[in-house]
Amino acid sequence: MNAIFPTGFTAPTALYLSLFAVTLVLHAVFMHYVLAGSTYLAFGRLMGPRRCAVCGWQSILVDWLPFATGLAITAGVAPLLFVQILHGREFATANLLLSHRWMAILPVLIVCFYLLYLQKSSWLARRRWVWRTVVAALACSGFIFIAWSWTENHLLMLDRDAWAPLYESGALRYASPGVLPRLALWFFSAFPTLAIELVWQGRLLGLDVTRPPAAAEVVLGLSPVRRLALAALSGVAGMTAAGGLYGQTLTAADREALFGPLGGPWLTIAITGLVVQGGTWLAAAFCNRMPHGLGVVTTIGWLATLCGLVAARESIRLVHVDIATLAERHATAASISGFPVFLTCAALTVIAIVWCVVAVRAGLAR
Amino acid sequence: MVVGGLSVACDIMTPLEHYPVVDLGPLMKGLAIGGLGIVHVFLAQFAIGGGLLLFCLQWLHMRGGCPLARRFIDGYFKVLVLVSFVLGAVTGVAMWFTSIQVSPRTIGVMVLEFHWVWATEWTFFCLEVVSGYLFYRYGPRLPDATRLRLLGLYAFASWMSLFWINGILSWQLTPGGWLENHDVWTGFFNPGFLPSLLFRTISAAAIAALAACVLINAVPGFSREDRASLVAVCARPLVFMLAMPFLGAWYLGVMPADSRGWATGGNVPMTLFLSMAVGSSTLIGLYAIVAILRQRLFVNGATASLLLALAFVATAGGEFVREGVRKPFTVRQYLYSNSIARDGVAVLRARGSTTDDPYPVRDAASYANEQLVLGARVFRAQCSVCHTLEGVNAVVELAGGWTIEQRRINIAQLQRTKPFMPPFAGTPEELEALVQLIGWIAAGRPTSWDLSNDGRVLDDIRRRMDEAGTGPGSPTATLAVHLREGPQDAGVRPDGPP
Repeated sequence: MNAIFPTGFTAPTALYLSLFAVTLVLHAVFMHYVLAGSTYLAFGRLMGPRRCAVCGWQSILVDWLPFATGLAITAGVAPLLFVQILHGREFATANLLLSHRWMAILPVLIVCFYLLYLQKSSWLARRRWVWRTVVAALACSGFIFIAWSWTENHLLMLDRDAWAPLYESGALRYASPGVLPRLALWFFSAFPTLAIELVWQGRLLGLDVTRPPAAAEVVLGLSPVRRLALAALSGVAGMTAAGGLYGQTLTAADREALFGPLGGPWLTIAITGLVVQGGTWLAAAFCNRMPHGLGVVTTIGWLATLCGLVAARESIRLVHVDIATLAERHATAASISGFPVFLTCAALTVIAIVWCVVAVRAGLAR
Repeated sequence: MVVGGLSVACDIMTPLEHYPVVDLGPLMKGLAIGGLGIVHVFLAQFAIGGGLLLFCLQWLHMRGGCPLARRFIDGYFKVLVLVSFVLGAVTGVAMWFTSIQVSPRTIGVMVLEFHWVWATEWTFFCLEVVSGYLFYRYGPRLPDATRLRLLGLYAFASWMSLFWINGILSWQLTPGGWLENHDVWTGFFNPGFLPSLLFRTISAAAIAALAACVLINAVPGFSREDRASLVAVCARPLVFMLAMPFLGAWYLGVMPADSRGWATGGNVPMTLFLSMAVGSSTLIGLYAIVAILRQRLFVNGATASLLLALAFVATAGGEFVREGVRKPFTVRQYLYSNSIARDGVAVLRARGSTTDDPYPVRDAASYANEQLVLGARVFRAQCSVCHTLEGVNAVVELAGGWTIEQRRINIAQLQRTKPFMPPFAGTPEELEALVQLIGWIAAGRPTSWDLSNDGRVLDDIRRRMDEAGTGPGSPTATLAVHLREGPQDAGVRPDGPP
């Protein structure tokens, strides 16, 4: 583990680590939108109906959250597949230990999904404000519950010594000092993602923050771009604080992986990205608009943070596994044919998806 | 094992992997995975058939064959998105999670062997979701040609997801040449692949057609004449059900003989479920072809709902049979239904099935002695995938009434006692511990219970286990192993042919 993640391992291990990391980033792009978006909506409801109606971000979120949830679930299938190749035994064990508690994420996800559609419905729009707030709060709580369950599951995967005692106790909750700070770290990291995604989405949907805001768009003294900046900067600050707290819970071996050659460069990339994002969002708040160039720089910073976080996360995990045994399993997996078929289909799918978007835009333009 | 210079999955096949076993109380794990599986398959087939149906409707509309189609497609698609994109997608993920809860080893083997196939399927999921959602969102504002192309892509992507998963599921029952060469494509294009794919495609088309008939009656704004004309068009795919008996017979034909035997009289529940599936499909097919397509009767909402409910029953029956006839295997001739590798039984009979189990028994102090605790561990390792202790399909209900000698013999020669049971894969001491556990629970869990460690009893158990061998018990499965490996591992009687 003296080389940067995912190098320094056998080729099959590096391949599966890379595929897992890339697909996890893709999943996070949508998952963050859903988690932070539903939270933004729930908080937004507290501003009251009139102010909510003015907030263009809330309208966009109400409209697009169901689709984003569908994409998050679909994108989540791939990392779920590759984690079973990489760490199948640990993943299954954690699932089994948390048992019914873990499985509860599925009905909760279904309920949250339908609550998002309910928020779009004219039926709910005709109901009293309190009901709309309750629905938004319930959806948000459900997604936070799912995030909490994943956090617990991940940390339990790493803690082999806890497996047998936890099983014997019959407890369905894994209590670890790392759970809350790690959950907070990922929860807050969702807000910069949401903010920059809304910037680009807003441009496509007519809420352009590259220009100065109109007076009608100001809610509680905040222009659209300042509302996003507030969300993003809260996320950056929250990530910094939660990351610091989470760092306190790591073992010496974890820290070695995180700060050493394996994860250190990625952690540096993540922190650099965070600093860039902090700076650009402050600049945007100050200018009261997000010029195109600033948006590009913010996006690069955000991507750096997200990729760095995922790679750093995996670096810590690799300390907890028997890499020699895993290498044998990965070599076996890699010897099974089908990779070229996957690559070909993936490429064709990307082309088909791009074609869909282009064709729809052309069709709408007509 | 090395095949053609490649190391393959069975290299890392250990006889048994120990995981923390989930306890669902009185509920059998099979009920959880079975119930979820049926719902997921029904929803998935609705989505697949729905895509094909809507594509055809749009094409018909553009040729002037169905003027109302465009309006109906938009309404149908909303339901498709609300039902399939939410429930279908989440139950799909739930299938993985539930499989892990029930048998992590089985799903682990499947994922390892077919991970590129699953990854390929995932690419089509992505296309299905994007094309579907774009159509849902913008379809009503798009010109016909774009709609047709978008629906075509959606239908193709959703059918391709069936194509890929069908290869994996049919492999479990009919792995065919994969058992010899462990080549993923040999396993994927297994003997059951094509009949199963065609059968499922027609099922999907039929479910979508019936769902369309329900929706035609539910969507406001259509007159009775409108509805009648739409039903006449949407019900057309039901004519393909005429091929179902032939495809079903083809599928039965490629099944292993013992599996076919379970479904056709050898096992009462499986035969009943097959009859249920066949009966429901026949009723739907007859009504569709005679009443709807020939006599052009109007199908109202209630009738359409009833037909759709029958389709659900047919799906449930079919899926139950598909899962059930694999017994005693979960991957034919490779992995037993209790997740023990077929080739690992002999090892476990020498080493013990609980020796390496790191997980303690919960509430161990409540057992009257250590032997009963061992029995609980044996139950957990070998029986708990399909049985409970005292709930559904309980071992105490099944074996509690036997005499102690019967219990020893029947469990030692389990594959002979019930050919759809795997052989016992543990030491005589473990078997005796299980026998004692069943007796203790049947006796009402008394606080004191004598240890049973008579050497002669254990010798007798070992002799009977050796007699039965380590192979499966059904005549055809046994014969296959016997021919390949000789009588010592084939579960055959030493005094005669299998």
